[in-house]
Amino acid sequence: MGMSAGAGNRAVPYINVTPLIDVLLVLLIIFMVVTPLKPSRFKADIPTQRDPNEDVSQLKPNPLTLVVTIGTDLQIKLNQDQMGSVNQPENLAATLQKTFQQRKEQHAYKVGMETATNIPEDQRIEKTVFVKAPRALKYGDVVKVIDAIKGAGASPVGLQVDDLP
Amino acid sequence: MGMQAGGGDHLQSEINVTPMVDIMLVLLIIFMVVTPFLQQGVTVAIPRDMKNPDEDQAINKETSVIISVTCAPNHPECRPEETEYYLGKKKVSLDALKEQVEKALANKKEEDKIVYIKSSVNVSYGEVVKVINAVREKGVDKIGLVADKKKKGATTAAPAT
Repeated sequence: MGMSAGAGNRAVPYINVTPLIDVLLVLLIIFMVVTPLKPSRFKADIPTQRDPNEDVSQLKPNPLTLVVTIGTDLQIKLNQDQMGSVNQPENLAATLQKTFQQRKEQHAYKVGMETATNIPEDQRIEKTVFVKAPRALKYGDVVKVIDAIKGAGASPVGLQVDDLP
Repeated sequence: MGMQAGGGDHLQSEINVTPMVDIMLVLLIIFMVVTPFLQQGVTVAIPRDMKNPDEDQAINKETSVIISVTCAPNHPECRPEETEYYLGKKKVSLDALKEQVEKALANKKEEDKIVYIKSSVNVSYGEVVKVINAVREKGVDKIGLVADKKKKGATTAAPAT
């Protein structure tokens, strides 16, 4: 480069690169943070297409079914019980957790899982929760409730897609 | 390092930062180039700071079926008729979506038939349900609602599923 450094009375042709490095480092860190490293998702089940000729009235309802309904006023209901608003789903999560704990004590297993002792006990308990929300609601509010349900340990989470208000 | 560089009988007391700057620039450019390719589908405002979604590296796979539901930025209130659907990075209509999802899932194994839905938070739920109904017709019964997990240490941990 033909650079003569720090000598006598001659001018020193040295660029101060420190601010440049500062800016570069900051940019580098910004990009490293922004890069999405761990994508995540909520898994939800949806009903498969039914045979239209099937007689639905013959189906027996499961007494262990849990349905979380969200109203247009953003109030959550678990089966028939009021659970507060979408923005405070802690009550819902706590109630679901209590329910699952009770079921564990009472050995309330999923249909067909009563005798499957090769599967861990936790996975055999009926923890299915369905979510029903009106179409006019914002997606973000629904996902907040799904987050709370998932946090209570429900699996699988099902979305109702027919007959929505 | 005790490096005696350059001219005369003076000791040069400055670190040569040029190689470091070189490396930084290269790293920076690598990150700038790679970032847009890391995510599949278009960029939408997915639900943020969720506590309990499961991590799933398959979302970033090239072969995953990702449907994005969003509104154009010039429609902030996002009425149902303003909703746009994307399959991957391509904008499609709801009818075309059905055919193309079927095509994309055709040679996948039964247990891999999962469709990821990346929806903006301000889209109305009915539009998401429309998409779900569309993929349901094609025999899909598992969907993944893509969400952003809250970074660790911000809140108390929720019980594991």
